[in-house]
Amino acid sequence: MQEKPWLKKVVIMSIVGVLVGVIFSYATYIGVEKTAGENFCASCHSMQPMAQSYGLDVHGGNNQFGFKAQCTDCHLPHNNVANYLYTKAKTGINDVFFEFFTNTSKINWEQKLKEPNKFVYDSGCLKCHSNLQQESLQNQRAFLAHRAYFAKTTNESCVDCHSNVGHKDLKEFIKS
Amino acid sequence: MGVIFLLVIVGSASWYLSKANKTQNQVVADNPNVSLNNSNLRYANIAYSEKITLSKGKGVTKQAASCIECHAQKTPAIVQDWSKSSMAHAGVSCIDCHGVSKDNPMANQNCPGVKGTNIYVSKMVSPKTCAKCHPNEVKEFEESGHARAAFHLALKPDQGLIAHEDMGAPEYKDAVVLTGCAQCHGSIIKMGPNHEPTQGTWPSHGIGNVYPDGGVGNCASCHFNHQFSIAQARKPSSCATCHLGPDHPDIEVYNNSVHGALFAAHGDKWHWGSPPGAWIPGVDYDAPTCATCHMSGVNGLQPTHNVDMRLKWNLWAPISKERTGGYETAAFEYMKTGKLTAGNPLAGNPKGPQEARKEMLQVCASCHTQSFANNYLAMADKQIELYNKYAHAASEMINTLEKKHLMMKDPWADPAFRTYYYMWHHEGRRMRQGAVMEGPDYSHWHGVFQLQQSLRILQAIYNQRMKDGKIDPNQIGGVGMGE
Repeated sequence: MQEKPWLKKVVIMSIVGVLVGVIFSYATYIGVEKTAGENFCASCHSMQPMAQSYGLDVHGGNNQFGFKAQCTDCHLPHNNVANYLYTKAKTGINDVFFEFFTNTSKINWEQKLKEPNKFVYDSGCLKCHSNLQQESLQNQRAFLAHRAYFAKTTNESCVDCHSNVGHKDLKEFIKS
Repeated sequence: MGVIFLLVIVGSASWYLSKANKTQNQVVADNPNVSLNNSNLRYANIAYSEKITLSKGKGVTKQAASCIECHAQKTPAIVQDWSKSSMAHAGVSCIDCHGVSKDNPMANQNCPGVKGTNIYVSKMVSPKTCAKCHPNEVKEFEESGHARAAFHLALKPDQGLIAHEDMGAPEYKDAVVLTGCAQCHGSIIKMGPNHEPTQGTWPSHGIGNVYPDGGVGNCASCHFNHQFSIAQARKPSSCATCHLGPDHPDIEVYNNSVHGALFAAHGDKWHWGSPPGAWIPGVDYDAPTCATCHMSGVNGLQPTHNVDMRLKWNLWAPISKERTGGYETAAFEYMKTGKLTAGNPLAGNPKGPQEARKEMLQVCASCHTQSFANNYLAMADKQIELYNKYAHAASEMINTLEKKHLMMKDPWADPAFRTYYYMWHHEGRRMRQGAVMEGPDYSHWHGVFQLQQSLRILQAIYNQRMKDGKIDPNQIGGVGMGE
């Protein structure tokens, strides 16, 4: 059989490519994981009130199971991976810039609380609360209260009704 | 290569995720318990309102049960009322509406039952709470002129009217406003000591209440506490808590109309509790109430809590203009920026006044031929245009007198101003609202007849002042012309 030097090259390049790809993907995965939670997010000074109120909230582990939703579970979109990564990069750059190059004490957090759906994504809520959509009249509270939402007769997002969800008494912490 | 590999992973993962999302929606659509047919679904919860079987405690939490038990002793009537409500049927209890988070500006622990616990409550329930289960209704309300009522009052207390009514003693001002104006318009509610609403700003039954948490409106103005009954809200008497009297005698106009006579004759036999959108004229009732024409899902129309949706004209302002302003803005502006604004007096149907009229005619068509309704409303339009002729004539005289400094400093002492005020605020509204709502006595005798009498008086005052170049303090006018 005649030797095909280009084939060998392709095979080696492919293996190297796959390896690099796997390593790169894994590194990305680790990076995404490590920067998803309170330890990373709350390392910025301006995030202290959010971290404190989060610790008191059901979503921050103050529940009978001690289960915690990560910051990014709510504050990044979960409709697809590309959008997730893009939004993570975008908000990450934004936050780092404002943390280091502006006076964060001048940010009006109370004003920002009036537009919570700019910072919280319904796809994040629904990732965990996926049962809500299947609720029937057997569970009237869950069904009736969310019917307009799932029937799309309202444009309200989750946080329009559930204000401060994830951060118990957030306004108290912002004030102090 | 690695990049391609990564892209493939990202691509397939997002494809999978979007597919998973779709499958989930499909499951819901196929589930017979969760029909996503909008028109049925939207209001079906209230469909249970007539058959309430819930016994205390069913489906409510332990804490809620303890609220109910204690309040059944302390305030038995409201618990009785609640137990007959569709709220009770759905397991919505005291704490679901009155429980608030600690950082809510209305939060306190003044109820001994929650003192020292981590539960905070508020006496007041803002529409923000109602919107958790009824988001469409609250949004539609906020888009209507009703949402502007308290802002209107706070920004323009009627040319200093209240300052004259409190006899120069500001300590009585709150009494004037709270027992009068605010009971219909609503109040900008302020918090006082002990995290309780202040005496001068609460309680108010008014439809435009502005709550300390930023909520605007008062659902209980029409759906009284604690039954929140649809039947009660559909009866003309609910609207008549405000829409009565010399300046907009809408309940009187209704009673004067054939519609009102039919209601008086057969109303007790009508089916008042049918679900929204399924309250059918000819089946459940045989003449419209206020709610039928202004809100109900009649003859293919969607029910709405925006009472301006089917209105072609603004019939309360000094000059009547068509409602070309789209949605009301004051509530949204306030919720976003905290600013009190005058709102949008020409708020109406976002598709314009012609579409509004079309919708109203669609209501009429449940019972009337097209030509009947068209002909009647065409004459009502002319009556409105005729009113505008009177209004222009009067305002021209007032403007000229003002330019020539021939108006008194205190407008309420000035017969010219008083006559003008009665003309648009009382007689003119009666004429216009009597015309569109088929109240002949109000369109004519309480309306245009008195308007032409007043115009003559204003003309006489005008002529004399222009002739003499000064104000005669003994001139008479205005007083007694209102009803």
